[in-house]
Amino acid sequence: MFRLQTMPYPKKKQLYGLLFILPWAIGFVLFFAGPLVTSLKYAFHNMEMTPAGLKGKFIGWENFRYAIFKDPEFIREAANSFVNILYAVPLILVYALFVAVLLKNNFRGRGFMRAVAFLPVIIASGVLMDILKEDVFSQGMRGGVDSVYLFGGGGIEGVLTELGFGPKLIEVFNNVIARIFDLTWRSGVQVLLFLAGLHAISGDLYEASSVEGARPWEQFWKITLPMLTPIMLLNIVYTIIDTFTDYGNGVILMIYDTAFSQVRFGYSSALSWLYCLAIGLFLGIVYLLLRKRIVHSQD
Amino acid sequence: MNARLQGIWNKRLRTPIVSAIRYAVLAVLAYQLLYPLLYMLSMALRRPEEVTDPSVIWIPKTFSLQNFTDTLRVMDFWDAFANSMYVGVGCGLLDVVSCAFVAYGFARFRFPFSNVLFALVILTLVVPVQTIILPLYADMKYFDAFGLMKLWSAVTGGPGSISLIGKYASFYLPSLFAMGLRSGLYIFIFRQFFAGMPKELEDAAYVDGYGPFKTFFRIMLPNAKNAVITVFLFSFVWHWNEYYLSNLWLGNLKKNFAIALSSLRVDLQSVVNVQTISDPLVVLTRIQAGALLSILPLLVLYLVTQRYFTDSVEHVGIK
Repeated sequence: MFRLQTMPYPKKKQLYGLLFILPWAIGFVLFFAGPLVTSLKYAFHNMEMTPAGLKGKFIGWENFRYAIFKDPEFIREAANSFVNILYAVPLILVYALFVAVLLKNNFRGRGFMRAVAFLPVIIASGVLMDILKEDVFSQGMRGGVDSVYLFGGGGIEGVLTELGFGPKLIEVFNNVIARIFDLTWRSGVQVLLFLAGLHAISGDLYEASSVEGARPWEQFWKITLPMLTPIMLLNIVYTIIDTFTDYGNGVILMIYDTAFSQVRFGYSSALSWLYCLAIGLFLGIVYLLLRKRIVHSQD
Repeated sequence: MNARLQGIWNKRLRTPIVSAIRYAVLAVLAYQLLYPLLYMLSMALRRPEEVTDPSVIWIPKTFSLQNFTDTLRVMDFWDAFANSMYVGVGCGLLDVVSCAFVAYGFARFRFPFSNVLFALVILTLVVPVQTIILPLYADMKYFDAFGLMKLWSAVTGGPGSISLIGKYASFYLPSLFAMGLRSGLYIFIFRQFFAGMPKELEDAAYVDGYGPFKTFFRIMLPNAKNAVITVFLFSFVWHWNEYYLSNLWLGNLKKNFAIALSSLRVDLQSVVNVQTISDPLVVLTRIQAGALLSILPLLVLYLVTQRYFTDSVEHVGIK
């Protein structure tokens, strides 16, 4: 008879491991893998709502061909989101790292500042962000409140033209300024991860280096930054995913619209598959570029 | 001379100047992050006529609670509050238990394909929910769990599937199986946390005759207090703010704050209410009041757990 007690120890451990992840495996098949396969099937079909339910006709690659070669909107929106990423990732990373370093040190009022710094994690949501952007942000731009200086790029534009910057550069700069509000409000989790990473760096490294005569500035570049590279990668990946899958993202809105307003389920599935593959490819490239630069601490 | 200046700089000026700069930067940061909250509060408390009054910047001349009382009614505040709480607390608790359980398996046991399986956990985070939303919706509408329901109906003659649309179960079930909203991230956080805990803890438990499950529930989970609070807070907050899925799963059957807030502008102007509001300034102040009301429970929860939350940051120790 099969008995657990007589099983060799390593086999038993394997079995227990599998038992622990069993709930996830069930959920994965039920709520992810199954729907994923079905949506791939949809993408090759022309799905229609009929009185008898959802009916599909196999049309091969037609949906994909249409999205890439004929639909002007999809390519434009997709290009927009990729350009958006090129702004968002560096800005969010620099901002989050800056705030995390500030918050790590001990100073009076640190508890308060930490509580405030994580506010975006708590309240920044799709709907609320829309209201904030629509009302708070635009109110400032209209000049009603004193936030013009904080969020508006109007005054700086004149200064930059005087300094002789080209209109293209100024446009980039304006884009950055206009996004600051949005970006700081989307960096909550990144600040959190960086802060956790900073606390994980062993204090011995700093002690040893200051005995050797290193200044804080040198310590930052030679110790803090290299030790943070694994978290940096995590943050980059998180930011990319978060920005690409945000509900306010143009492509996401388009996918949603195509499915639920225009009732073109097959085409919507094809769009989301293309988008998903693009994200995967982008993440893969980013990972390959950064992999060599990650410092792994031995312990 | 230069050396002397350097000496003065190092001795006397450095610390105060550095800390002055730091406080200036922090003040700007705090202002920027608190600005929307202060704006909402200031707008929500004033009378609509004062929105355009240039002599009123932050503090209204006459305080009015009319905005709040109106919004409470239009948003069905207590109804939305109950619905948001059911989803938030329920999914928060389920996510904590299921994700910790699964993460412990990934952190402490080696089994065939464990790395591949963990890569799949990360994959669930990468694929936008929009990709699978259509089939998922169909699955929720005609839920039969691997055909088990059909089998059951063949035996008892009951229905072959049940609809989870408009039921909290559409949120609870995925969370129960560690596949809910951003569950992959929670599994990742817990795995990091468990991997950093001393092995001796478990060995001692095994010597005492505990099995792996007893060890997990009696020793590991209670010791992961900070990670538990962090994950619960994340899950609670993200479910609270979730609009897209709430709209699909619960829709108008169970309005939570995300849904109520998104339709607030329309609801204020619609004829359904006793008196419709057409004045844009009135709508503006009412919406700010609504926004504030919908995040107020979150803010209260955050203020209470904030200490554990920021503490846990220091101890999660992601590597």
